Amino acid sequence: MRTEAIVALEGVWKVYRMGRRRRIEVEALRGVDLQVTRGEFLAVMGPSGSGKSTLLHLMGCLDRPTKGRVLFEGEDVTRLKPSALARIRNRRVGFVFQSFNLSPTLTALGNVELPMIFAGVPRKERLARARELLGKVGLRERERHLPSELSGGEQQRVAIARALANSPDLLLADEPTGNLDTETGRGILSLLSEANREGVTLVVVTHDPEVAATAGRRLRIRDGRIAEGSDA
Amino acid sequence: MRDFLGIAVRGLLHRKKRSWLTIIGILIGITAVVALVSLGTSMQLAVKRSFEELGYDVMMIVPGELGGGFGGPISFRTSFEIDVEALSDVEGVAEIGLMDYESVYVKAGTQEGFLDALGASENIFSFFKVEMKAGRVFSSGDRDAVVLGAEMAEELGLEVGDTLEIEGRRFTVIGIYSSDSRLDEDVIIMPLQAMHDLLGKKGVSMVFVRAAPGYDVGEVAERIEDFLYRTRGRLDLSVQTMEEVHEVVQQTLGILGAFLGGIAGISLLVGGIGVMNTMYTAVLERTREIGVMKAVGARDSQIMMIFLLESGLMGLTGGALGTGIGALLNVVTVFAAKKALGTQVLEYGISWWLVLGALGFSFLVGSLAGLLPARAAAKLDPVEALRYE
Repeated sequence: MRTEAIVALEGVWKVYRMGRRRRIEVEALRGVDLQVTRGEFLAVMGPSGSGKSTLLHLMGCLDRPTKGRVLFEGEDVTRLKPSALARIRNRRVGFVFQSFNLSPTLTALGNVELPMIFAGVPRKERLARARELLGKVGLRERERHLPSELSGGEQQRVAIARALANSPDLLLADEPTGNLDTETGRGILSLLSEANREGVTLVVVTHDPEVAATAGRRLRIRDGRIAEGSDA
Repeated sequence: MRDFLGIAVRGLLHRKKRSWLTIIGILIGITAVVALVSLGTSMQLAVKRSFEELGYDVMMIVPGELGGGFGGPISFRTSFEIDVEALSDVEGVAEIGLMDYESVYVKAGTQEGFLDALGASENIFSFFKVEMKAGRVFSSGDRDAVVLGAEMAEELGLEVGDTLEIEGRRFTVIGIYSSDSRLDEDVIIMPLQAMHDLLGKKGVSMVFVRAAPGYDVGEVAERIEDFLYRTRGRLDLSVQTMEEVHEVVQQTLGILGAFLGGIAGISLLVGGIGVMNTMYTAVLERTREIGVMKAVGARDSQIMMIFLLESGLMGLTGGALGTGIGALLNVVTVFAAKKALGTQVLEYGISWWLVLGALGFSFLVGSLAGLLPARAAAKLDPVEALRYE
């Protein structure tokens, strides 16, 4: 069933146990209700430690809520097995991180191939798709380079290509421009926006007002709750 | 699977030095296992060959119990007398060879001194495979003739046709043999009767009996034992079939081989622990990368597969190199033994079974050692792994 909301959070709480004996409880999210509409570009803003990243991890089925429900395309993923969650992350979701998080042992091409390897895409098809994506982010000539041989901006481009490898419905970016200078950051932002224009739902966690301004909708998180005055 | 292999190889190459050091740990273990097991096989094959030369239709009558003084060169000092005529009448006995072992005083040219000599019935060479380098073996009527082992002939500086003096009597060299078998090359062989005449004794140290075709060797041996007990009134001699003796020797060598292999296995165990250590370090180092792999949709089983392949590959690489070096050691050992002792005392002990077994085992050790670290990698919480610095 196709619903208007690609992902929905209903009364979601997330409590982390921290410290040496895991006795310190940190409430990262405290009762969040949120719907992400198919095809939109949503910016999530808020001070550090407000629970933005946690929100992103829950949307991307990387984590489970302590309380409440997460519906991915109408399906409650809260009770799914780890392998089923991995499958959703693999086919439906793409992640882009602040610190790029490329596999240091693999070339640019190998990194873009990675999600397709886990999806079992045949080699030939995989290589063609990876090259196409690297071409799209302007790195066709650097496919043989290791991450250590690429600049920060280039690494983030590879990361975007990797996130788009299995044609996801939802693209989640956690401070994608946070480690880049303004000019390079703009390039990354336009790549993300372009993907969004081509139909991918985009959620970006950011501090950067310029990124937020580009988004169709803005959301503020404060102390684990969606703050007043958001567009939500 | 092939794609995971690629990722695993990349991971190994990324920390080349550590991977190689770990591989060397496995390599040493497998080298030791292959070298020692193949040495055991070499000895077993060599023993098997020398028994086959004697033939399984042959049995020996020697003083005492089974196993006494067997396996080494023929050096029985205890003489015994036996009624050869009556023995040859026992059903199933085809041929009897006699051998007496003594030290005799020899003069050859300017040299003189005590040397080992075998007094033998003229048919003795039908029981041993020898190669005549010169001359011939005994024929009936040879009385003042000797046949020399090649080593002895060289030592004494004698050739066919030369003469030497044994216990004051003159003998002519009629043949020189070289031998790969249990008949040593450093002895003088003379007619049994001549030795008995010279030393004024009777008796022999060993009797060879060949069973007639169509007879079961074991049954003939039992009949001979009955005969010995009947005629002597006690069982002071034992009849050993080659099969029995072979079995005892092979068993002993088998136990020895397993024991040595077990000791070598300990070093392989240490190598395996090295793999485990390296893999735990790798999982820790790559925690973040594992988190990323999970984020892009790797299932736990796929992560586990990648790390198992890494550790298995280290095992396999060490195993392949170790098997090669172990096999080389076997070749060198066999060659060195031949150089040192003059005869082919050992056989090559490398078999496909050993090579495949060693490779399979090393992969298994690598994978098993990687099992716990790989599980630890697969079970990592993705969010925590992504946060790991």
